[in-house]
Amino acid sequence: MDTFVVSLLNGAVYGLLLFMVSAGLTLIFGMMGVLNFAHASFYMLGAYFAYALEGTLGFWGALVASPFLVMGFGVAVERYFLRRVHHHGHAHELLLTFGLAFICAELIKLFFGNYPVNYRIPQAIDFAAFTVGSVGYPAYRVFMGGVALAMFGLMYLLLARTRVGIVVRSAIYKPRMVEALGHNVPVVFMGVFGVGAGLAGLAGAVAGAFYTTNPNMALELGAMVFVVVVVGGLGSLEGAMLASLLIGVVTSLAVSIDLSLADLLAHVGARDWAEAVGGLFTLKVSSLAATLPFALMLLVLLVRPGGLLGEKP
Amino acid sequence: MRTPVLSLRGVRKSFGDAEIIRGVDIDILPGERHALIGPNGAGKSTLFHLVSGNHRPTSGSIYLAGRRIDGQSPQAINRHGLARSFQITNVFPGLSVFENLRLAVMRPHRLQYSISRWIDGDRPVREETERLMDLVRLTARVHALAGELAYSEQRSLEIGMTLASNPQVILLDEPMAGMSREETAFTANLIREVTRGRALLIVEHDMDVVFSLAERVSVLVYGEVIATGTPDDIRADAAVREAYLGAEVPV
Amino acid sequence: MIRSTRHAGFAVAALVLLLVALPHLLSQGLLNAAIQMLIAALFACAYNLLCGQAGMLSFGHAAYFGVGAFATIHAMKALGGAGLVPTPFLPLAGAAAGLAVGAAAGWFATKRSGTYFAMITLAIAELLHSLAPHLKGWFGGESGVSAMRMPAFGISFGSTTHVYYLTMAWVLACLAALYLYTRTPLGRLTLGLRENSHRLAFLGYDVHRVSVLVFALSAMFSGIAGGLQVVNNEAANYVLFDMQLSAAPVLHAFIGGVKVFLGPAIGAALMTFFGYAVSDLTQSWLLYQGILFVLIMMFMPDGLAGLWFRCAAWRARVGTLRAMPGLLAAISAALLLAAGTVFTVELLQRLFAQDYRALARAAVTQPWPSVHLFGRDWLPGAVETWLVPLALLAAAGVLAVIAKRMVRTMSYATEPRGVTASTTPLAQAGSST
Repeated sequence: MDTFVVSLLNGAVYGLLLFMVSAGLTLIFGMMGVLNFAHASFYMLGAYFAYALEGTLGFWGALVASPFLVMGFGVAVERYFLRRVHHHGHAHELLLTFGLAFICAELIKLFFGNYPVNYRIPQAIDFAAFTVGSVGYPAYRVFMGGVALAMFGLMYLLLARTRVGIVVRSAIYKPRMVEALGHNVPVVFMGVFGVGAGLAGLAGAVAGAFYTTNPNMALELGAMVFVVVVVGGLGSLEGAMLASLLIGVVTSLAVSIDLSLADLLAHVGARDWAEAVGGLFTLKVSSLAATLPFALMLLVLLVRPGGLLGEKP
Repeated sequence: MRTPVLSLRGVRKSFGDAEIIRGVDIDILPGERHALIGPNGAGKSTLFHLVSGNHRPTSGSIYLAGRRIDGQSPQAINRHGLARSFQITNVFPGLSVFENLRLAVMRPHRLQYSISRWIDGDRPVREETERLMDLVRLTARVHALAGELAYSEQRSLEIGMTLASNPQVILLDEPMAGMSREETAFTANLIREVTRGRALLIVEHDMDVVFSLAERVSVLVYGEVIATGTPDDIRADAAVREAYLGAEVPV
Repeated sequence: MIRSTRHAGFAVAALVLLLVALPHLLSQGLLNAAIQMLIAALFACAYNLLCGQAGMLSFGHAAYFGVGAFATIHAMKALGGAGLVPTPFLPLAGAAAGLAVGAAAGWFATKRSGTYFAMITLAIAELLHSLAPHLKGWFGGESGVSAMRMPAFGISFGSTTHVYYLTMAWVLACLAALYLYTRTPLGRLTLGLRENSHRLAFLGYDVHRVSVLVFALSAMFSGIAGGLQVVNNEAANYVLFDMQLSAAPVLHAFIGGVKVFLGPAIGAALMTFFGYAVSDLTQSWLLYQGILFVLIMMFMPDGLAGLWFRCAAWRARVGTLRAMPGLLAAISAALLLAAGTVFTVELLQRLFAQDYRALARAAVTQPWPSVHLFGRDWLPGAVETWLVPLALLAAAGVLAVIAKRMVRTMSYATEPRGVTASTTPLAQAGSST
């Protein structure tokens, strides 16, 4: 029971982290029609910037400064790269962001080496916030979840209750009309892009200290983020939250399940046969944990192509 | 009484809460030229989308030569003998005029999955493509890219592609939109020629064209057909006048 | 395409002759590189069937390459190592696996279009990538699966030359097949998918079924490429499903030019060759490739092949003599840009390397010890060190502006969709394949 609760909490935290990264991506897509391949790179940059600044600003200082650096980087990408190819169409923008993500990963390898770096949470906060049964639950995990929830709350309030939010939401639906009303839509786009990048950077800075910080971070998370937006529905913030939590919890719970199809078939007396066949039948669910999100995505595509909370295509 | 080749019975369509088509009944007779007119926003394009399979009616039924087609996919409906053109030109911009027409011709020749023959050497396909090109007077532009054609040429190409499957029923959605006087006259004649023997349902705003081309006219207002008849009947109809010009107020 | 088909015919014939003669001209090491180049070229062209011709951007093509590779290695190992079929026919296993998995994956993926499609292809590749290490029976776990090439038809297939000729034969046959495909009805329909798949439905085509067919064909040829790789290496490992391998055909195809039939092959051959040639000299080869890709996407979307045709058209228009200054300026600008970028990257590479950093920490007399680069020692603290790349890049910029002014007329004359709607035959260069 304890392991179940811990797994559940871990899954929720991981899901919230996923959400922090996917929220920006789904907003940017909803607004600009651009699927930013380099979005997960912002996540990676957040972690690496925080690592690099840790020496001079301390852990917390770096944690605060890094997202702003990533935001600036995101704004520069939109202004100097994306805007140039905007007229060529969405496929072109997608390819450009793909190339940028590629370069980003290579640059990280250039400056920091092709191996994980030692970005750790400081000893001082490496304690247990509370205990579940006999095991202590790390305070930092709670912190990560808290940051994500705070971000969600802030974004929701910003979009729903402020003037800026109204302009942003209108620009998603009718950018030309908003422009005709006198708002500087390119600046709005730039702003949304930057904020999305900053959010991803924050997620990276926070998560990189807990999980590993290495040049493959973007790739590993990137695929997961795409699954989240497909499952949740492109452009839907609520969908992204739902899908992130779903994937986080499912993955986390699966890791602790040491059963396989063979065990299931044991109930009908076919265990020996299943084990003789091997392959997929003896594969434990725990090994499949990383694969489940992709299977979920394919399932959603079959049953509800627009995503769980997205529009019907 | 001839059996209609295209029949709409009680067709309704809502998008969310907005009901665009509110119960339409129309019969198109084989070989007739039938115009669909009405004020902007009446739902003419939506009706086309419903008939051609782009959208599914919320309720009601559509029959093509006795076969029920509402809710079927566009490709199925096309194979049953109905073809349509689009209000906004919908061709293959990066391909030549010849290629555009050939793509339309290949399917009726059942060549869609073929990888075992040389398309350039296929005589029937080539001749059919050339015939169509000649029919819509685009032979001089055979190698021009469709995206670079003049607007009226693109509309002619649209019509050509629509004819390729030898349909019983043709739907033309504002084929003359944005054309000059000469172009309109030319295209009207073209349409008259190429739709001989087929049923034609045409949406058009130019009243001269409607009255010269159509044998019967239906008037669609706010998603309902308020009148159907010969052009003269429609011209005289009080309800139609009211819809277009507003109600008469005794002074 | 090329204005004169006779020109094209001669060029292709000459290329084939060169390829046949290659083993007599190259060392074993270079011959191995040539094998890699051929395989990469086939993979890129197979990818382009889906991307450039059908207009469907796939980011997970490594899945079909990998599946083809593993099918082939198992065919190689089958029957106690004798092989399911004689060695020259082994890539057929790759073709079959690629076709089957491609059809299944394509069925899912083509249910959506554009961005969604791209994401689905990525996720399918990642699915295989995460699943493979766990299915040890099929994918061999960490160490992968290996087998040995068996002699067949009197040829031992032990030497690189034998493998080269086998690879060359398969790649040339597949490229020919891919070219002939473009002249079939389905091949023309593929272009229709790219130009306007929406209209195709109204013309009576089952767009989903056609898309699945095209996807499966693209995957089949990718599977053959994977099979050839495995015949060469005699081993297959689950890293074949890595994202890097999915990225490669994308980069190669666009660098080469997707609207020209052999564009992706040229891009792949060039990039593979450079990768091989400079891999000892630099660790940042992939970075250069990425920079080139981004530069092309931003400034030359029709790729190197497209650029070549535009230059040739311009040269034909203004005459070789008048074209010379502009071309020279442009080429010089490109070379200077490359030199400046390479210098900067290599310098940074060495500055941030682990051993240098250790050296810098340990150095007492000079805080930043010198870096050895291109045969000279450079001090990071010295101004000259940074002046060199700066000067190179500045010169490149100046020359680029000059070149642009000189060739300004080039763009107007040969832009296929220009405002001036030029009707010269030159305008057709780079348009429909």
